[in-house]
Amino acid sequence: MAKKTVVSFRLNGVETDVMVEPRELLIHALREQCVHTGPHIGCDTSHCGACTVDFNGKSVKSCTVLTVQAEGAEIITIEGMAQGGELHALQEGFMQEHALQCGFCTPGMITRAYRLLKENPSPTDEEVRYWMAGNLCRCTGYQNIVKAVQYAARKLRGEAVETSHPLLEEAGKPSEPVTA
Amino acid sequence: MGLEPNLERLTQLEGIGCARKRREDPRFIQGRGTYVDDVKMPGMCFGAMVRSPYASARIRKIDASRALALPGVIAVITAEELKPFKLHWMPTLAGDVQAVLADGRVSFQNQEVAFVIAENRYIAADGADLVEVEYEELPAVVDPRKALEPDAPVVREDLAGKTDGAHGARRHHNHIFTWEVGDKDKTARAFEQAEVTVTQDMLYPRVHPCPLETCGCVASFDKVKGDLTVYITSQAPHVVRTVVGLLSSVPESKIRIISPDIGGGFGNKVGVYPGYVCAIASSIVLGRPVKWIESRSENLTTTAFARDYWMTGELAATRDGVIKALRVKVVADHGAFDACADPSKWPAGMFHVCTGSYAIPNAFVSVDGVYTNKFPGGVAYRCSFRVTEAVYLIERMIDVLAQKLGMDKAEIRLRNFIRKEQFPYQTPLGLEYDSGNYETALRKVMDAVDYAGLRAEQAARRADPGAEWLMGIGVTTFTEIVGAGPSKMCDILGVGMFDSCEIRVHPDGSAIARMGTITQGQGHQTTYAQIIASEAGIPASVIQVEEGDTATAPYGLGTYGSRSTPVGGAATARCARKIREKARLIAAHLLEVSPDDLEFDLDRFVVKGAPGQAKTMKEIAWAAYNNVPSGLEMGLEAVDYYDPPNFTFPFGAYLCVLDINRYTGETKVRRFYALDDCGTRINPMIIEGQIHGGLTEGFAVAMGQQLPYDEQGNVLGGTLLDYFVPTAVETPVWETDYTVTPSPHHPIGAKGVAESPHVGSIPCFSSAVTDAFAHLGVTHMDMPHNAYRIWRQSHALGLDRR
Amino acid sequence: MKFSVEKTFPMPGSSEAAWALLQNVEDVAGCMPGATITERVDDSHYKGTVSVKLGPASLVFKGDIEVAGIDAATRTLHLVGKGADATGTSGASMDLLASVQSGDSPASCQLVGKSDVSVSGKAATFGGRMMGSVTEQILQQFARNFAAEVARQAPAAPAQEAGEKPAPPPAKGRELNAFALFWAVVRDWFRHLFGRRGSA
Repeated sequence: MAKKTVVSFRLNGVETDVMVEPRELLIHALREQCVHTGPHIGCDTSHCGACTVDFNGKSVKSCTVLTVQAEGAEIITIEGMAQGGELHALQEGFMQEHALQCGFCTPGMITRAYRLLKENPSPTDEEVRYWMAGNLCRCTGYQNIVKAVQYAARKLRGEAVETSHPLLEEAGKPSEPVTA
Repeated sequence: MGLEPNLERLTQLEGIGCARKRREDPRFIQGRGTYVDDVKMPGMCFGAMVRSPYASARIRKIDASRALALPGVIAVITAEELKPFKLHWMPTLAGDVQAVLADGRVSFQNQEVAFVIAENRYIAADGADLVEVEYEELPAVVDPRKALEPDAPVVREDLAGKTDGAHGARRHHNHIFTWEVGDKDKTARAFEQAEVTVTQDMLYPRVHPCPLETCGCVASFDKVKGDLTVYITSQAPHVVRTVVGLLSSVPESKIRIISPDIGGGFGNKVGVYPGYVCAIASSIVLGRPVKWIESRSENLTTTAFARDYWMTGELAATRDGVIKALRVKVVADHGAFDACADPSKWPAGMFHVCTGSYAIPNAFVSVDGVYTNKFPGGVAYRCSFRVTEAVYLIERMIDVLAQKLGMDKAEIRLRNFIRKEQFPYQTPLGLEYDSGNYETALRKVMDAVDYAGLRAEQAARRADPGAEWLMGIGVTTFTEIVGAGPSKMCDILGVGMFDSCEIRVHPDGSAIARMGTITQGQGHQTTYAQIIASEAGIPASVIQVEEGDTATAPYGLGTYGSRSTPVGGAATARCARKIREKARLIAAHLLEVSPDDLEFDLDRFVVKGAPGQAKTMKEIAWAAYNNVPSGLEMGLEAVDYYDPPNFTFPFGAYLCVLDINRYTGETKVRRFYALDDCGTRINPMIIEGQIHGGLTEGFAVAMGQQLPYDEQGNVLGGTLLDYFVPTAVETPVWETDYTVTPSPHHPIGAKGVAESPHVGSIPCFSSAVTDAFAHLGVTHMDMPHNAYRIWRQSHALGLDRR
Repeated sequence: MKFSVEKTFPMPGSSEAAWALLQNVEDVAGCMPGATITERVDDSHYKGTVSVKLGPASLVFKGDIEVAGIDAATRTLHLVGKGADATGTSGASMDLLASVQSGDSPASCQLVGKSDVSVSGKAATFGGRMMGSVTEQILQQFARNFAAEVARQAPAAPAQEAGEKPAPPPAKGRELNAFALFWAVVRDWFRHLFGRRGSA
């Protein structure tokens, strides 16, 4: 076993020190030492993106980063998205547009979309799909994820937002045939 | 009753039919879910599995000395260590046994050989690398048809001389069972007399459900109290408790199984796997919590594949396309151990739904289950037991017949549908379909997409020799069978496939409800509350739904095969009605009228003819704890165990339009229109989400997923590098639609929905891809329809020559 | 994963010299990149190791080699090798028929190798699609080493083929150089892609 070293970084705005072996992956340090279990592990090959964190202003799959590489880094995880008791527009959008089911990919998805909207506040649907292609979801089929990102984009631009799923079907709308 | 107050109260209630936002979401969007790998316990150690590189080999020697010498390695267990506890083999759901750790012999690649327990996951992995195993490689067999040849390698030496299996006689050392259903002779006569017959071979390749979270568990045995607690990725925690009890001889009352948040299941998390057993056994021995979490490649290559059905279908029909008979022969590859997750009496699951949506008078099905040197499983990947295979077969066969007859494939379906007035409909293979309206569904889809217009466009495209893109139109009109199931037909390890709900209404009118099912993303915590809201008048927002903890939830068979709504949802509705009926008695007592004089109105009981006199459920709940009529128990609780009288039969009509590049094999899905009928709709938003997800998983299976093997039994493609999981870029945009045909036997008429889109879309993609080449005589193309395989078809037809 | 390789390599020395070398299993193994004979059990049975270093992973295959036949008439050697890496994650076996055939001139000859290779475990699962190219590279390295060894043992042999410089004598037992191997594989793949085959 190699000697452990201290690594210091800012995690969601908080100065954090961890003691790690040189080989310890960032995702393990975050989940097991920092108890930030939002980022998840879904594959061994950095395909799924469930472990995505924001690392010095870039989306990074934290399963392919050694913790020692994080010395001095600024890291944002899903746990740092809500500010001052308010959900981030993306978190609200994911809920309002039903962009999650099992929830396992959601922290990575939101963290990735956070970076997207920082770089491109008005993406097209196609751009959203392209940007999110490093994050796999097995439940939603992505359609509502695209909608959720657009919901958040609108809200962050200061535009009015509305869920695509009103609680009750509008009165007067012709009902679908009931064929009992 | 005016409309205004109703709307307001309806909104407050958030009952059946509302697009209620999900109760699960706040924790997931903030990274506060608790999945198994998030569970941390004091003194917890980690397990890692040593696996066989060979598909078939004898184990000469296992030397763990180097591993044990590594600081931080606590123990290494092999079959020898498990033998004193009789844990080296375990029963499977299909009546077979499976080696927990290889007992002198391995029968599939990556089979579990030894389990290394260490202080952390890094040391466990290092330790696993240091366990030296000496193998003597033996010949392997991976093709199920070759497995039945007389001199085929023996997959299971432990079964030598065993001529009786769990499902009847075995006729060959690699034969598991032969299952037949239908009238063989009558069907044969129908074929002899038929004007037209068609035959088609098709392979439904081996695939894997691949949920984003892999399998894992944390087992914790308290040596002082004798209690065993297991956090586990299970779709059926109560069944796990029974199995663990059987294996460990710890009484079930001392075992607590908890399925916390589950990161997707899709059938992968139904079974009990060697990793779980090893973690539990190690914890019992060590008295420390032991965590075992699968890697992705372990997940893809050892825990529960789906499909691997080698099918031959035959149809007999008249010249004008009226189907007279269906005959099916299947060779089912079950891998090295028969761990197929089906109800005990149904070795091919509900495959006999393969007569589909059509009034076919005669049918006969024969399925041979076969051992090969591949990993065990045979789970239902987002479908009810073997229904995807059945629907694929009949939908492909209908297309093949239409093509032979030169008929349009929508037209031949309309000609053969079971008509609305024929329900309940008895199929020739022994099922009773509850309700359906197939023609309305298909016509609605054809109108929505302008079917005639699409066919005209296709004809023009086909007539243009310079067209770079071929156009294919796929149509399926499927019938699912879900909601297993009636206990007279269905059991798992002898336990009937009922499900359950328990509701406790607190004095303040809020409630907690617990079920025997377990959500893995389906949104039970949201939708079950809606059922209770509508049935018992308690606002969904104050109903806490809990599942997955065997210490608190009533016994149930879990969530798979779209059984939560048909079975668990029915139990919930009936349980809520029990609450309502007790509330009626209390309300009558409070209002000093007869219970018969009361009317239930959304959230209150109103005296008939006196709308001003009413008691709300909130008021009644309070009274239940201080003022009940004499002779009535205090409190407001109920429990219901629901044994369904029949399955439910959701259906749908799907249409896919795609364009294929004849030079590259590239496929672009232009349009996918999915109409689903799942009976009564509980939450339209969640239904839409389930359909998007099912369609996407169907797209994945049809267009790219496959777990291929080479001749030596090496599994190729056991990582996400090779195994296709579509990203947002490839995934098509889905259009959804619906009709509502309630189930007549379900308390609220709901049928279950999440699996229909998977079951229905896969043959629709195959139908569309094949259709692009149909004018050149192609009748069927096996999946996966990746660009290379499509290009090969184009190449074979000479279409790629410029 | 099973595949067959058939290769012909021109050799600079006489066929007698090459045949003499071919019969010496230890020397032949020495030409195999990364291979070492660790034990001579008897005249026809040997134990050996092959180490492969791929990035941070170091695999050491331990195995048995059997000389299944030496046919002086046809100058053919039949070797059967079987091995597994120490951690048991991969296994490999090989059935090799190597023969020396006379060349265009008495001072040159050809080494003809025909081999059936079977690979199991991680090496097959993860490396399957590169296996053909990797094997080809290993064989080419082997042939170069072998040629150099023939030249060394028979120094009187005349000049090399045009354009081929003699390789330095093989450093026995060194590890396979993964970077060079990788580069060669990629290069070959591109060549294959554009339909230009390099000469063997």
